Amino acid sequence: MTAPAAPTDRAPAPAPAPAPAKLRRRSRSAVARSAGGDRWTMVIVGLVLLAAGVLVALLSYGVFGAARAGRPLLDPMIVDTLRAQPLVSRIVAIVAGVVLALLGLVWASNSVRPERRPDLLIDGGPDTSIVVSSAAAADAVASQAGGLPGVGRAKARLVGDESAPALRVTLWLADDADVRDVLRRLDSHVLTTARESLGLSALPVAVRLELDRSHPTSRVA
Amino acid sequence: MRVLLRILAPLLGLALAAAGVLFVIEVVAAWVRPDATTGLVVPWPDWRATLEGLTWANTPVPAIAITVAVVGLLLVLVAIAARRSDVHLDAPSPEIAVTTAPRVLARLVGTRVRATDDVAGASVTASARKVSVSAQSWNDSTPELRSTVTSRVDDLLAELPLRRRPRVSVSVQERKGPR
Repeated sequence: MTAPAAPTDRAPAPAPAPAPAKLRRRSRSAVARSAGGDRWTMVIVGLVLLAAGVLVALLSYGVFGAARAGRPLLDPMIVDTLRAQPLVSRIVAIVAGVVLALLGLVWASNSVRPERRPDLLIDGGPDTSIVVSSAAAADAVASQAGGLPGVGRAKARLVGDESAPALRVTLWLADDADVRDVLRRLDSHVLTTARESLGLSALPVAVRLELDRSHPTSRVA
Repeated sequence: MRVLLRILAPLLGLALAAAGVLFVIEVVAAWVRPDATTGLVVPWPDWRATLEGLTWANTPVPAIAITVAVVGLLLVLVAIAARRSDVHLDAPSPEIAVTTAPRVLARLVGTRVRATDDVAGASVTASARKVSVSAQSWNDSTPELRSTVTSRVDDLLAELPLRRRPRVSVSVQERKGPR
Protein backbone atom coordinates (compact mmCIF):
# COMPACT_ATOMS: atom_id res chain seq x y z
CA MET A 1 0.00 0.00 0.00
CA THR A 2 1.47 3.40 -0.94
CA ALA A 3 0.40 6.89 0.00
CA PRO A 4 2.59 9.45 -1.79
CA ALA A 5 2.14 13.23 -2.10
CA ALA A 6 1.15 15.93 0.28
CA PRO A 7 -1.49 15.93 3.02
CA THR A 8 -4.86 17.53 2.41
CA ASP A 9 -6.95 19.90 4.48
CA ARG A 10 -10.32 18.33 3.76
CA ALA A 11 -11.56 14.80 3.16
CA PRO A 12 -12.88 14.17 -0.36
CA ALA A 13 -16.53 13.35 -0.82
CA PRO A 14 -17.04 9.77 -2.03
CA ALA A 15 -18.26 9.36 -5.58
CA PRO A 16 -22.01 8.73 -5.91
CA ALA A 17 -22.94 5.06 -5.90
CA PRO A 18 -23.97 3.52 -9.23
CA ALA A 19 -27.53 2.36 -9.76
CA PRO A 20 -28.49 -0.90 -7.99
CA ALA A 21 -29.12 -2.66 -11.31
CA LYS A 22 -25.62 -1.77 -12.47
CA LEU A 23 -24.11 -2.93 -9.18
CA ARG A 24 -26.02 -6.20 -9.44
CA ARG A 25 -24.74 -6.74 -12.96
CA ARG A 26 -21.15 -6.02 -11.92
CA SER A 27 -21.37 -8.32 -8.93
CA ARG A 28 -22.75 -11.14 -11.10
CA SER A 29 -20.02 -10.72 -13.68
CA ALA A 30 -17.42 -10.92 -10.90
CA VAL A 31 -18.54 -14.44 -9.94
CA ALA A 32 -15.97 -16.01 -12.24
CA ARG A 33 -13.79 -15.18 -15.17
CA SER A 34 -16.04 -14.82 -18.19
CA ALA A 35 -15.84 -17.44 -20.91
CA GLY A 36 -18.42 -15.65 -23.06
CA GLY A 37 -15.93 -14.53 -25.70
CA ASP A 38 -14.47 -18.01 -26.12
CA ARG A 39 -17.93 -19.57 -26.23
CA TRP A 40 -19.28 -17.20 -28.88
CA THR A 41 -16.16 -17.52 -31.05
CA MET A 42 -16.29 -21.29 -30.81
CA VAL A 43 -19.98 -21.31 -31.70
CA ILE A 44 -19.26 -19.18 -34.80
CA VAL A 45 -16.32 -21.38 -35.88
CA GLY A 46 -18.39 -24.51 -35.23
CA LEU A 47 -21.36 -23.20 -37.22
CA VAL A 48 -19.09 -22.25 -40.14
CA LEU A 49 -17.57 -25.76 -40.17
CA LEU A 50 -21.01 -27.36 -39.80
CA ALA A 51 -22.52 -25.33 -42.64
CA ALA A 52 -19.53 -25.93 -44.92
CA GLY A 53 -19.51 -29.67 -44.20
CA VAL A 54 -23.24 -30.04 -44.76
CA LEU A 55 -23.22 -28.04 -48.00
CA VAL A 56 -20.25 -29.98 -49.41
CA ALA A 57 -21.85 -33.29 -48.39
CA LEU A 58 -25.11 -32.30 -50.13
CA LEU A 59 -23.15 -31.20 -53.19
CA SER A 60 -21.23 -34.50 -53.20
CA TYR A 61 -24.42 -36.57 -53.04
CA GLY A 62 -25.88 -34.70 -56.03
CA VAL A 63 -28.57 -32.73 -54.20
CA PHE A 64 -27.64 -29.64 -56.24
CA GLY A 65 -27.48 -31.65 -59.48
CA ALA A 66 -25.29 -34.42 -60.87
CA ALA A 67 -23.47 -32.00 -63.17
CA ARG A 68 -22.32 -29.86 -60.25
CA ALA A 69 -21.21 -32.94 -58.32
CA GLY A 70 -19.09 -34.00 -61.31
CA ARG A 71 -17.10 -30.73 -61.44
CA PRO A 72 -13.54 -30.74 -60.05
CA LEU A 73 -12.93 -29.35 -56.58
CA LEU A 74 -10.62 -26.68 -57.97
CA ASP A 75 -12.92 -25.54 -60.73
CA PRO A 76 -11.11 -24.32 -63.90
CA MET A 77 -13.72 -21.59 -64.18
CA ILE A 78 -12.67 -20.14 -60.82
CA VAL A 79 -8.96 -20.56 -61.61
CA ASP A 80 -9.43 -18.67 -64.91
CA THR A 81 -11.25 -15.86 -63.11
CA LEU A 82 -8.41 -15.53 -60.60
CA ARG A 83 -5.79 -15.59 -63.34
CA ALA A 84 -7.63 -12.83 -65.22
CA GLN A 85 -7.13 -10.46 -62.24
CA PRO A 86 -3.80 -11.60 -60.70
CA LEU A 87 -3.03 -8.42 -58.74
CA VAL A 88 -6.48 -8.14 -57.19
CA SER A 89 -6.52 -11.89 -56.41
CA ARG A 90 -3.14 -11.75 -54.66
CA ILE A 91 -4.02 -8.66 -52.64
CA VAL A 92 -7.36 -10.15 -51.57
CA ALA A 93 -5.61 -13.42 -50.63
CA ILE A 94 -2.95 -11.61 -48.58
CA VAL A 95 -5.54 -9.46 -46.79
CA ALA A 96 -7.64 -12.56 -46.05
CA GLY A 97 -4.59 -14.38 -44.66
CA VAL A 98 -3.58 -11.41 -42.50
CA VAL A 99 -7.14 -11.04 -41.16
CA LEU A 100 -7.28 -14.77 -40.39
CA ALA A 101 -3.91 -14.63 -38.59
CA LEU A 102 -4.91 -11.56 -36.57
CA LEU A 103 -8.27 -13.04 -35.57
CA GLY A 104 -6.58 -16.25 -34.46
CA LEU A 105 -3.90 -14.42 -32.47
CA VAL A 106 -6.47 -12.14 -30.78
CA TRP A 107 -8.64 -15.16 -29.88
CA ALA A 108 -5.68 -17.14 -28.51
CA SER A 109 -4.25 -14.22 -26.54
CA ASN A 110 -7.64 -13.36 -25.03
CA SER A 111 -8.09 -16.99 -24.00
CA VAL A 112 -4.80 -17.32 -22.16
CA ARG A 113 -4.52 -13.78 -20.79
CA PRO A 114 -4.56 -13.78 -16.98
CA GLU A 115 -7.44 -12.08 -15.25
CA ARG A 116 -6.77 -8.49 -14.23
CA ARG A 117 -6.22 -7.59 -10.59
CA PRO A 118 -6.82 -3.86 -10.42
CA ASP A 119 -5.23 -1.68 -7.78
CA LEU A 120 -7.62 0.71 -6.07
CA LEU A 121 -7.06 4.39 -6.74
CA ILE A 122 -8.44 6.45 -3.91
CA ASP A 123 -8.84 10.15 -4.33
CA GLY A 124 -7.30 11.68 -1.22
CA GLY A 125 -7.88 15.27 -2.24
CA PRO A 126 -6.54 17.77 -4.77
CA ASP A 127 -2.86 16.94 -4.11
CA THR A 128 -3.03 13.40 -2.86
CA SER A 129 -3.64 10.11 -4.55
CA ILE A 130 -3.63 6.85 -2.66
CA VAL A 131 -3.03 3.51 -4.32
CA VAL A 132 -4.13 0.40 -2.48
CA SER A 133 -2.62 -2.65 -4.09
CA SER A 134 -5.00 -5.37 -5.19
CA ALA A 135 -3.30 -7.97 -3.00
CA ALA A 136 -3.37 -5.76 0.11
CA ALA A 137 -7.09 -5.00 -0.20
CA ALA A 138 -7.96 -8.62 -0.97
CA ASP A 139 -5.85 -10.00 1.89
CA ALA A 140 -7.46 -7.61 4.36
CA VAL A 141 -10.95 -8.70 3.31
CA ALA A 142 -9.99 -12.39 3.31
CA SER A 143 -8.48 -12.28 6.78
CA GLN A 144 -11.56 -10.55 8.18
CA ALA A 145 -13.95 -12.91 6.40
CA GLY A 146 -11.99 -15.94 7.58
CA GLY A 147 -12.67 -14.94 11.20
CA LEU A 148 -16.46 -15.01 10.84
CA PRO A 149 -18.28 -17.74 12.78
CA GLY A 150 -18.91 -20.76 10.53
CA VAL A 151 -16.17 -19.82 8.05
CA GLY A 152 -13.20 -22.18 7.94
CA ARG A 153 -11.11 -20.14 5.55
CA ALA A 154 -11.59 -17.40 3.02
CA LYS A 155 -9.95 -16.13 -0.12
CA ALA A 156 -10.52 -12.81 -1.87
CA ARG A 157 -9.30 -11.04 -4.97
CA LEU A 158 -10.10 -7.85 -6.79
CA VAL A 159 -11.32 -8.25 -10.38
CA GLY A 160 -12.49 -5.91 -13.12
CA ASP A 161 -10.68 -2.72 -14.05
CA GLU A 162 -9.49 0.31 -12.11
CA SER A 163 -12.56 2.36 -12.94
CA ALA A 164 -15.03 -0.38 -11.93
CA PRO A 165 -13.40 -2.82 -9.51
CA ALA A 166 -15.27 -5.70 -7.93
CA LEU A 167 -14.41 -8.16 -5.23
CA ARG A 168 -14.57 -11.94 -5.53
CA VAL A 169 -14.72 -13.70 -2.17
CA THR A 170 -14.63 -17.47 -1.71
CA LEU A 171 -15.75 -18.78 1.67
CA TRP A 172 -15.17 -22.34 2.83
CA LEU A 173 -17.94 -22.99 5.31
CA ALA A 174 -18.16 -25.55 8.09
CA ASP A 175 -20.84 -28.22 7.59
CA ASP A 176 -22.95 -26.75 10.42
CA ALA A 177 -22.59 -23.11 9.35
CA ASP A 178 -25.68 -20.90 9.21
CA VAL A 179 -25.42 -19.59 5.65
CA ARG A 180 -27.82 -16.67 6.15
CA ASP A 181 -25.94 -15.54 9.25
CA VAL A 182 -22.56 -15.84 7.53
CA LEU A 183 -23.74 -13.74 4.58
CA ARG A 184 -25.33 -11.14 6.85
CA ARG A 185 -22.16 -10.82 8.94
CA LEU A 186 -19.99 -10.71 5.82
CA ASP A 187 -22.03 -7.79 4.50
CA SER A 188 -22.40 -5.85 7.75
CA HIS A 189 -18.99 -6.50 9.30
CA VAL A 190 -16.48 -7.18 6.54
CA LEU A 191 -17.71 -5.53 3.36
CA THR A 192 -19.06 -2.39 5.00
CA THR A 193 -15.73 -1.95 6.79
CA ALA A 194 -13.86 -2.52 3.54
CA ARG A 195 -15.95 0.07 1.67
CA GLU A 196 -15.53 2.62 4.44
CA SER A 197 -11.80 2.12 4.88
CA LEU A 198 -11.19 2.19 1.13
CA GLY A 199 -13.43 5.23 0.70
CA LEU A 200 -15.61 3.49 -1.89
CA SER A 201 -19.26 4.38 -2.22
CA ALA A 202 -19.94 0.98 -3.77
CA LEU A 203 -17.99 -2.23 -4.18
CA PRO A 204 -19.78 -5.05 -6.04
CA VAL A 205 -18.99 -8.39 -4.46
CA ALA A 206 -19.36 -11.94 -5.77
CA VAL A 207 -19.39 -14.52 -2.99
CA ARG A 208 -18.63 -18.14 -3.77
CA LEU A 209 -19.60 -20.64 -1.09
CA GLU A 210 -17.69 -23.89 -0.72
CA LEU A 211 -17.68 -26.48 2.02
CA ASP A 212 -14.61 -26.90 4.17
CA ARG A 213 -13.04 -30.34 4.30
CA SER A 214 -15.29 -32.56 6.34
CA HIS A 215 -13.99 -34.60 9.23
CA PRO A 216 -16.01 -37.82 9.02
CA THR A 217 -17.17 -39.18 12.32
CA SER A 218 -18.66 -42.55 12.99
CA ARG A 219 -22.37 -42.70 13.70
CA VAL A 220 -21.77 -45.74 15.89
CA ALA A 221 -20.59 -44.99 19.40
CA MET B 1 -16.81 -28.74 -20.44
CA ARG B 2 -15.38 -25.38 -19.33
CA VAL B 3 -11.96 -27.02 -19.02
CA LEU B 4 -12.30 -28.39 -22.55
CA LEU B 5 -13.32 -24.92 -23.75
CA ARG B 6 -10.30 -23.36 -22.01
CA ILE B 7 -8.01 -25.89 -23.74
CA LEU B 8 -9.64 -25.82 -27.17
CA ALA B 9 -10.08 -22.05 -27.51
CA PRO B 10 -6.38 -21.06 -27.56
CA LEU B 11 -5.49 -24.11 -29.68
CA LEU B 12 -8.10 -23.22 -32.29
CA GLY B 13 -6.99 -19.59 -32.21
CA LEU B 14 -3.38 -20.59 -32.80
CA ALA B 15 -4.44 -22.98 -35.58
CA LEU B 16 -6.35 -20.16 -37.32
CA ALA B 17 -3.38 -17.82 -36.92
CA ALA B 18 -0.97 -20.45 -38.29
CA ALA B 19 -3.23 -21.09 -41.27
CA GLY B 20 -3.41 -17.35 -41.99
CA VAL B 21 0.37 -16.90 -41.74
CA LEU B 22 1.08 -19.91 -43.98
CA PHE B 23 -1.44 -18.63 -46.51
CA VAL B 24 0.19 -15.19 -46.63
CA ILE B 25 3.69 -16.70 -46.88
CA GLU B 26 2.74 -18.93 -49.80
CA VAL B 27 0.87 -16.19 -51.68
CA VAL B 28 3.80 -13.77 -51.33
CA ALA B 29 6.31 -16.52 -52.21
CA ALA B 30 4.36 -17.44 -55.34
CA TRP B 31 4.18 -13.75 -56.25
CA VAL B 32 7.93 -13.06 -55.96
CA ARG B 33 9.01 -16.47 -57.39
CA PRO B 34 6.72 -16.96 -60.40
CA ASP B 35 8.90 -19.75 -61.83
CA ALA B 36 9.04 -21.86 -58.67
CA THR B 37 7.48 -25.31 -58.95
CA THR B 38 7.27 -26.06 -55.23
CA GLY B 39 5.81 -24.19 -52.29
CA LEU B 40 8.00 -22.42 -49.73
CA VAL B 41 6.60 -24.16 -46.65
CA VAL B 42 3.69 -26.34 -47.81
CA PRO B 43 3.58 -28.38 -51.04
CA TRP B 44 0.59 -26.51 -52.43
CA PRO B 45 1.34 -27.31 -56.14
CA ASP B 46 0.83 -31.01 -55.30
CA TRP B 47 -2.37 -30.17 -53.43
CA ARG B 48 -3.57 -28.12 -56.39
CA ALA B 49 -2.97 -31.03 -58.77
CA THR B 50 -4.91 -33.34 -56.44
CA LEU B 51 -7.82 -30.88 -56.14
CA GLU B 52 -7.94 -30.44 -59.93
CA GLY B 53 -8.17 -34.19 -60.37
CA LEU B 54 -10.91 -34.78 -57.79
CA THR B 55 -14.61 -34.12 -58.33
CA TRP B 56 -17.13 -33.35 -55.59
CA ALA B 57 -18.60 -36.83 -55.99
CA ASN B 58 -15.28 -38.70 -55.60
CA THR B 59 -14.90 -41.03 -52.66
CA PRO B 60 -13.01 -39.12 -49.96
CA VAL B 61 -14.89 -35.84 -50.41
CA PRO B 62 -18.27 -36.73 -48.78
CA ALA B 63 -16.51 -38.49 -45.88
CA ILE B 64 -14.28 -35.47 -45.25
CA ALA B 65 -17.30 -33.13 -45.49
CA ILE B 66 -19.26 -35.20 -42.98
CA THR B 67 -16.23 -35.28 -40.65
CA VAL B 68 -15.91 -31.48 -40.86
CA ALA B 69 -19.65 -31.09 -40.15
CA VAL B 70 -19.40 -33.40 -37.12
CA VAL B 71 -16.38 -31.51 -35.78
CA GLY B 72 -18.31 -28.24 -36.21
CA LEU B 73 -21.31 -29.69 -34.39
CA LEU B 74 -19.08 -30.90 -31.55
CA LEU B 75 -17.51 -27.43 -31.21
CA VAL B 76 -20.98 -25.86 -31.00
CA LEU B 77 -22.07 -28.42 -28.39
CA VAL B 78 -18.91 -27.88 -26.30
CA ALA B 79 -19.44 -24.11 -26.40
CA ILE B 80 -23.11 -24.44 -25.39
CA ALA B 81 -22.39 -26.96 -22.62
CA ALA B 82 -19.60 -24.81 -21.16
CA ARG B 83 -22.01 -22.49 -19.37
CA ARG B 84 -21.78 -22.18 -15.60
CA SER B 85 -24.14 -24.38 -13.62
CA ASP B 86 -24.08 -22.32 -10.42
CA VAL B 87 -26.71 -22.46 -7.72
CA HIS B 88 -27.71 -18.88 -6.87
CA LEU B 89 -28.50 -17.77 -3.34
CA ASP B 90 -30.25 -14.68 -2.04
CA ALA B 91 -27.82 -11.97 -0.98
CA PRO B 92 -28.29 -9.52 1.89
CA SER B 93 -27.78 -6.52 -0.43
CA PRO B 94 -28.12 -5.84 -4.16
CA GLU B 95 -24.40 -5.34 -4.72
CA ILE B 96 -23.60 -8.88 -3.56
CA ALA B 97 -24.06 -11.96 -5.74
CA VAL B 98 -23.88 -15.29 -3.92
CA THR B 99 -23.36 -18.58 -5.72
CA THR B 100 -22.30 -22.08 -4.90
CA ALA B 101 -21.60 -25.24 -6.85
CA PRO B 102 -24.21 -27.98 -7.30
CA ARG B 103 -21.77 -30.43 -5.69
CA VAL B 104 -21.82 -28.31 -2.51
CA LEU B 105 -25.60 -28.53 -2.40
CA ALA B 106 -25.37 -32.27 -3.06
CA ARG B 107 -22.86 -32.71 -0.23
CA LEU B 108 -25.05 -30.78 2.22
CA VAL B 109 -28.09 -32.86 1.27
CA GLY B 110 -26.09 -36.09 1.44
CA THR B 111 -24.77 -35.27 4.91
CA ARG B 112 -28.29 -34.51 6.15
CA VAL B 113 -29.79 -37.66 4.60
CA ARG B 114 -27.07 -39.98 5.89
CA ALA B 115 -27.64 -38.65 9.40
CA THR B 116 -31.17 -40.13 9.32
CA ASP B 117 -31.40 -43.20 11.55
CA ASP B 118 -32.70 -45.82 9.11
CA VAL B 119 -30.55 -44.73 6.17
CA ALA B 120 -27.61 -47.02 5.42
CA GLY B 121 -26.22 -44.87 2.60
CA ALA B 122 -27.24 -42.30 0.04
CA SER B 123 -26.16 -40.83 -3.25
CA VAL B 124 -27.25 -37.34 -4.25
CA THR B 125 -27.21 -35.41 -7.51
CA ALA B 126 -28.11 -31.75 -7.40
CA SER B 127 -28.62 -28.83 -9.74
CA ALA B 128 -30.24 -25.44 -9.34
CA ARG B 129 -33.54 -26.98 -10.43
CA LYS B 130 -33.61 -30.46 -8.99
CA VAL B 131 -32.19 -32.51 -6.14
CA SER B 132 -32.34 -36.28 -6.55
CA VAL B 133 -31.66 -38.52 -3.58
CA SER B 134 -31.19 -42.25 -3.83
CA ALA B 135 -31.17 -43.63 -0.29
CA GLN B 136 -30.47 -47.16 0.87
CA SER B 137 -32.45 -48.35 3.85
CA TRP B 138 -31.79 -51.18 6.29
CA ASN B 139 -34.10 -54.12 5.77
CA ASP B 140 -35.81 -53.48 9.12
CA SER B 141 -36.53 -49.83 8.43
CA THR B 142 -39.98 -48.29 8.61
CA PRO B 143 -42.07 -47.84 5.44
CA GLU B 144 -42.29 -44.09 6.08
CA LEU B 145 -38.56 -43.66 5.41
CA ARG B 146 -39.10 -42.00 2.02
CA SER B 147 -41.29 -39.27 3.48
CA THR B 148 -38.86 -38.84 6.39
CA VAL B 149 -35.95 -38.33 4.00
CA THR B 150 -38.00 -35.96 1.83
CA SER B 151 -38.94 -33.95 4.90
CA ARG B 152 -35.34 -33.69 6.05
CA VAL B 153 -34.20 -32.53 2.61
CA ASP B 154 -37.05 -29.98 2.50
CA ASP B 155 -36.01 -28.68 5.91
CA LEU B 156 -32.42 -28.26 4.74
CA LEU B 157 -33.47 -26.43 1.57
CA ALA B 158 -35.67 -24.12 3.68
CA GLU B 159 -32.66 -23.28 5.86
CA LEU B 160 -30.59 -22.26 2.84
CA PRO B 161 -31.32 -18.86 1.25
CA LEU B 162 -31.72 -20.38 -2.22
CA ARG B 163 -33.03 -18.01 -4.83
CA ARG B 164 -34.90 -20.83 -6.50
CA ARG B 165 -36.09 -23.81 -4.50
CA PRO B 166 -35.16 -27.02 -6.39
CA ARG B 167 -37.58 -29.89 -6.78
CA VAL B 168 -36.81 -32.84 -4.53
CA SER B 169 -36.99 -36.40 -5.74
CA VAL B 170 -36.30 -39.26 -3.31
CA SER B 171 -36.07 -42.96 -4.01
CA VAL B 172 -35.40 -45.62 -1.38
CA GLN B 173 -33.91 -49.04 -1.99
CA GLU B 174 -33.60 -51.69 0.64
CA ARG B 175 -30.09 -52.90 1.48
CA LYS B 176 -29.85 -56.63 2.03
CA GLY B 177 -28.05 -58.05 5.04
CA PRO B 178 -27.84 -57.30 8.73
CA ARG B 179 -27.50 -53.77 10.05
